[in-house]
Amino acid sequence: MSSQAVVIEGLSKKFPSPSGFGEFTVIESLSLQISRGSFVSIVGPSGCGKSTLLNIIAGIEPHDSGAVRIAAQDGANSTARIGYVFQSPRLLNWLTVEDNIKFALEAQNIGRASWDERVSQYLDMVGLAGQELNFPLKLSGGMQQRVAIARALAIEPDILLMDEPFSHLDEITARKMRVDLMHILERARPTILFVTHSLREAVFLSEEVYMMSVKPARVFKHLRVDIPRPREPEDPRLFDLEKDLVREFFAVIEQDHR
Amino acid sequence: MKFFRPDNLPGLLSIIGILLLWQAVSRLFLPTFLPSPAELLANIVSIFGSPSAYLVIAKTLQRVFAGLILSMLVGSVIGLVMGLRRSVESFLASWIMVLLTFPAISWAFLSVLWFGLSEVAPIFTVVLIVFPYVTMNVWEGAKALDKGLTDMATVFRANRFLLLRKVLIPQLMPYIFSSLRISFALSWKIALVSEAFGAGHGVGKELTYWFQSSRADMMLAWGASFMVLMVLIDLLILRPWENRVFSWRQLAAT
Repeated sequence: MSSQAVVIEGLSKKFPSPSGFGEFTVIESLSLQISRGSFVSIVGPSGCGKSTLLNIIAGIEPHDSGAVRIAAQDGANSTARIGYVFQSPRLLNWLTVEDNIKFALEAQNIGRASWDERVSQYLDMVGLAGQELNFPLKLSGGMQQRVAIARALAIEPDILLMDEPFSHLDEITARKMRVDLMHILERARPTILFVTHSLREAVFLSEEVYMMSVKPARVFKHLRVDIPRPREPEDPRLFDLEKDLVREFFAVIEQDHR
Repeated sequence: MKFFRPDNLPGLLSIIGILLLWQAVSRLFLPTFLPSPAELLANIVSIFGSPSAYLVIAKTLQRVFAGLILSMLVGSVIGLVMGLRRSVESFLASWIMVLLTFPAISWAFLSVLWFGLSEVAPIFTVVLIVFPYVTMNVWEGAKALDKGLTDMATVFRANRFLLLRKVLIPQLMPYIFSSLRISFALSWKIALVSEAFGAGHGVGKELTYWFQSSRADMMLAWGASFMVLMVLIDLLILRPWENRVFSWRQLAAT
């Protein structure tokens, strides 16, 4: 049994071009591995196909060639559980917070007996204990996104996909959410693939970072962030790392333009 | 909830004015041609004094609700499938248009020809006229479904039934309720017309009977009674139901 949670090999994806003639390549022969329990980020500018990649892994977008394999924790013959935190919360506003989480549990055929326990465990983890019977529209944007995180964690996913989950929040809320996510990760140890356009966010949260360039998306750098967690957002080592990466990023982008 | 507010005044005046005018005009005619408000009320009381009136109304209500429920079911299912599947949409769209534009009165006559004096005729008429409106509404709603929520449900591996129950139908509820309102208003009017043409008994039949006896006062009495009943059903059943279903929205507004 391998310790890889996700293996992607030679993945390619083309879209029909907007002009109607031919097609353009969004992702070209992309390969990456995510080992179990690790936090991996993909950083790239907007439009580099990051969200497309997550959607392909999640199975809601087809791909043209290559392979995506997700290992199921509880044996090879069960299907892998995928948790997804989208940019917007995508909650079912007509259901209570509790029922939103139970929706995911029901969808995953998780035994009814464990529902209440999981709901309170994961709501507590994201700091929303006591909000079980509230409706999503009564919560702030940050709280709604916490519910979405609790929903994704509650199914105890083999891979948790996060697509710029804090990009729709104001900066102060986003900052708090990043720190809180760091603490959540000490209690639950999911495998996370996190997509962002913010290098700072990526280096703060991740153990591994893949940096991508645009059109077609390809990985031009893969690095490990060897600063032990939990980290402080003001850690100078993070700033230095970010500065170096930004420099490298611009070098690659300028090269592409030449 | 104060009734006497300054902005209620024009409405109140119009009611009083009409009653006075009606009273004045009714003096010029025989009470059986145009009854005064008081005489109309007396007629209504006399109708409800006889037990057979309740049977007649029950019979009509039974047809109204049978037609309404069938129309809502058929209309919603067709509308939803049309919104979700392009092939079904292009297959059915023009037929829905045909049904919407076909003269309603023709269905009333045709169903008597086809089904005779049976229970089927009025219900058939109601369904054929009402369900295309429901379809139009729900179809519109199904085209406006949030794809993001469907994707979310797919990633979490919701099966079709769960998707329908907790993701799609709740999004369609505003469209389903607005169809229910229109359908209810249409259904009872059509049911009465249809009964007038071909039914053993029912409120529509009462109306034709009094028409043939040239008793405008009794026609008005039956019409008014039925109207009050329909308004009560709307106020006491449909509205509270709607408020309950959409309580999650009101919560959000606070």
